[in-house]
Amino acid sequence: MFSIICYLKEFLRAEWIKKFLFAKTPPLVTPPHYRDFPQLTGKECSHELRCMMICPVPDAIKVLKGEDGKWRPVIYKGHCLRCGLCVEACPDNVLTSGRILEQNEIDRTSLLGTYHLVIDNKLCMKCGNCSVACPINKEIDPRLAHNATSSNDDVIMRIKNSKLTILHPEKCTGCKTCEETCPNRAIRVYRRVEAVQD
Amino acid sequence: MSIIQSIKNKVRQRSIHVCYVNVGSCNGCDIEILACLAPRYDIEQYGIYVHNNPREADILLITGAFTEQWEDKLKHLWDLIPEPKAAITIGNCPVSGCAYNRRGARIDPPVSKHIPVAANIPGCPPRPTEIIGTILELAPVVFKDYEEKKAKEAAETERKTKGAKK
Repeated sequence: MFSIICYLKEFLRAEWIKKFLFAKTPPLVTPPHYRDFPQLTGKECSHELRCMMICPVPDAIKVLKGEDGKWRPVIYKGHCLRCGLCVEACPDNVLTSGRILEQNEIDRTSLLGTYHLVIDNKLCMKCGNCSVACPINKEIDPRLAHNATSSNDDVIMRIKNSKLTILHPEKCTGCKTCEETCPNRAIRVYRRVEAVQD
Repeated sequence: MSIIQSIKNKVRQRSIHVCYVNVGSCNGCDIEILACLAPRYDIEQYGIYVHNNPREADILLITGAFTEQWEDKLKHLWDLIPEPKAAITIGNCPVSGCAYNRRGARIDPPVSKHIPVAANIPGCPPRPTEIIGTILELAPVVFKDYEEKKAKEAAETERKTKGAKK
């Protein structure tokens, strides 16, 4: 009998009844280490396009020129995976997300990319579109046009003896212009990303 | 506003019935929905109930990049849901196709092309808090004063048709 009274006394407290009827889990806060969509830090973008190269998803990040004439990356929600690779790859720390930048500072790590050009000789029809379209080829040899034959040995690729030859693959920056202009998809640009620690 | 309407508003705020459908995703977003049901996020304390039966549902949650097989089925499912209803897409796939949107992929995003979508939750996958927050924000927008809005709309169309006849 005594215990029943004790229980009743406990359960009839206003505090207990209130807690029982209006119980809610506390509002959930986003932890600080959470990688959200990358945000701009305000540092100036040097237009190296490494974020666009490393992004695993089509059309998730684009580096666009603003009205003030400065380049800045734009993240497209609905495309972005929030993997944070663009934050890591950026040499100027233009983007930030979660604790990636701080962690990189501590670990002294960065991502470096090298690019490999692969030609499928069965598909290649030696039109030379890739060599003509290549912006780096254009800088090295402005006269390279039409047949894509060039007397300059410094170009990335050219047509010689009716064969597409690659001379300096290390100069490639991975813009993939050649891939887009190739009518047969015979040339492919592969990137190899290395994590470096110093 | 009539008393019945105000009661309906109040009740609908606390009982949002949800049905979810996967139209060809990797299951990541479905796991995130599952996390909403678990004790940590506990979707039922907000008055959201999962039934997985379109005839009882108010809100349809869609995950996935819309594969070809869903062409007629999703429309059918949408028609089964009684009014008032709304569709929310979860994840990147229903918006853009995300990582599946490659050359030769047999998908047809966005989902808003096939049925009217009220809200998108981007992210791959989105956090459970984002999912719960979106449902709770969207529900009053769609369901508040639904009968009154409908009556007003009906009156408007009637007036228009009468005007056209004259």
